[in-house]
Amino acid sequence: MKTLARTEIKLFLREPLGLFWGIAFPLVLLIVVGAASGDHHEKAYGGLRFIDVYAPVLMVFVMAILSLQALPQILSNYRQVGYLRRLSTTPVGPSRILGVQLALNLGITVVAMLVIAAMAKLVWGVALPREVVGFVVTILLAGLAMLAVGILVAAVAPNPRYAGLIGTLLFFPMMFFAGLWVPQAQMGQTLRDVGHLTPLGAAVAAVQQTMAGQWPSAAHLLVLAAYAVVLAPVAVRLFRWEQ
Amino acid sequence: MPTHNVITVENLHVAYGETVAVDDVSFSVKEGEIYGILGPNGAGKTTTVECVGALRRPDAGRIEVLGLDPQRRADELHQLVGIQLQQAELPEKLKVGEALSLFASFYRTPADPDRLLSLLGLTEQRGVRFGKLSGGQKQRLSIALALIGRPRVAILDELTTGLDPQARRDTWGLIEGIREEGVTVLLVTHFMEEAERLCDRVALIDRGRVVAIDTPAALAARAGAEQRIRFRPSRPVDLSLLHGLADVTAVIRHGQQLEVTGTGNLLGVVITALTRAGVVAEELRVEQANLEDAFVALTQHVDANHDRPLEVTR
Repeated sequence: MKTLARTEIKLFLREPLGLFWGIAFPLVLLIVVGAASGDHHEKAYGGLRFIDVYAPVLMVFVMAILSLQALPQILSNYRQVGYLRRLSTTPVGPSRILGVQLALNLGITVVAMLVIAAMAKLVWGVALPREVVGFVVTILLAGLAMLAVGILVAAVAPNPRYAGLIGTLLFFPMMFFAGLWVPQAQMGQTLRDVGHLTPLGAAVAAVQQTMAGQWPSAAHLLVLAAYAVVLAPVAVRLFRWEQ
Repeated sequence: MPTHNVITVENLHVAYGETVAVDDVSFSVKEGEIYGILGPNGAGKTTTVECVGALRRPDAGRIEVLGLDPQRRADELHQLVGIQLQQAELPEKLKVGEALSLFASFYRTPADPDRLLSLLGLTEQRGVRFGKLSGGQKQRLSIALALIGRPRVAILDELTTGLDPQARRDTWGLIEGIREEGVTVLLVTHFMEEAERLCDRVALIDRGRVVAIDTPAALAARAGAEQRIRFRPSRPVDLSLLHGLADVTAVIRHGQQLEVTGTGNLLGVVITALTRAGVVAEELRVEQANLEDAFVALTQHVDANHDRPLEVTR
């Protein structure tokens, strides 16, 4: 199990695209956006600066890349080349690798989110999530919800190319509702309400609340939990070990 | 050689929906044997060994491998049985040495990865990524992974398909080496030459049923005791001279060449008759029935469609 985890980490580190989009890109974006948006405290953001409302969006950006792009393509590739089938001939079996992949993605997501939170604090003085427990609960639920979506993509995609395509088609609307292009505070009421029903929209809203020192609203946590609870069993049932 | 059975398959039946992949297959493999499962494409060979290897659930029949029921004791069976599958590759960026260490970690008492690498001639490729290996090297790594758990039985499916003749011959040498180490080998193939060279016994499977089980030589003999002689006579021969001989069943003229088929001491009889008539048989060739003839004879329906029933490696 340890060797399997170590091997999967090595393989992850050998994929420069995953590292770039999942970790380097959001950090660069954080610096650039912070520098460009300046120090104005906006009424529309409840007296916060643009970078204050944007930092949580970049945190879930990491989550979206890893669960919608990296995970489905890796699993789909493992299935296509027959690696999962190869593992099924060993005493360990292929389900372990699914577990390792989920743990690995969740782990990298959490670490990358903490790095972004720390960078935002150090460089731009963005508030850390003061409601720590609420923050942890939020990212775990959001992580589980997004990983469930990721396995579902891997389950329905016939090959890695389709997995990438489906992942991308989900990535844009999900990140739109998270506020990547327009902050949630500037969306109309209806759009924002719809956004709060999507996993990343709810996740960003909940993280913002923890940064203001509040416990995240039950509605947001329920939305995240619902995605995880409903999609995970479906995804696992649909997932095939063989092409 | 001990006569203890390590694999027993009785009345195996597997269907995918309405398609019957394996209809009724029974055979048993003794300890230390190289046992061939031979048959045309789609005969049910792979499905059969997948059931033996606890990778697929049979619809009916009984299987026992090293005293274990594959359906109930799959994990234990995978400790003792190494399986090399068709089209089961590794992640492109996984290095050879890493793959061996990883698979070694799956087993209770793994083999030494370094020794296995040198046995399979992959020592220099230890740091090479899977995606950069040649076809032969990938195949050898696949064999290494099947052996890393120090199995008592190795199931090898279409081992040499896609390899060039040299790599194929090298691989055959490896399989013989595996047997020397005391491993029983269940070998799936559709190459006649491979079965003839390696297998102690073969089960010939066609359309999901066992057509014959025997040694390759005995199967060849069963295909017909007929022999065929071809030669170019040094001067014209009266064909009736040959027709009249006791062991001759047919004489056919192919341009300048004559083809004589028959039984018994065909060669001696023909040559004696020719010598008496003052004729020398030039470019003489004697053909005996081989496994391929047996295969064609036993699976003739395929031939009737003018389909080549098998790939010939020569």
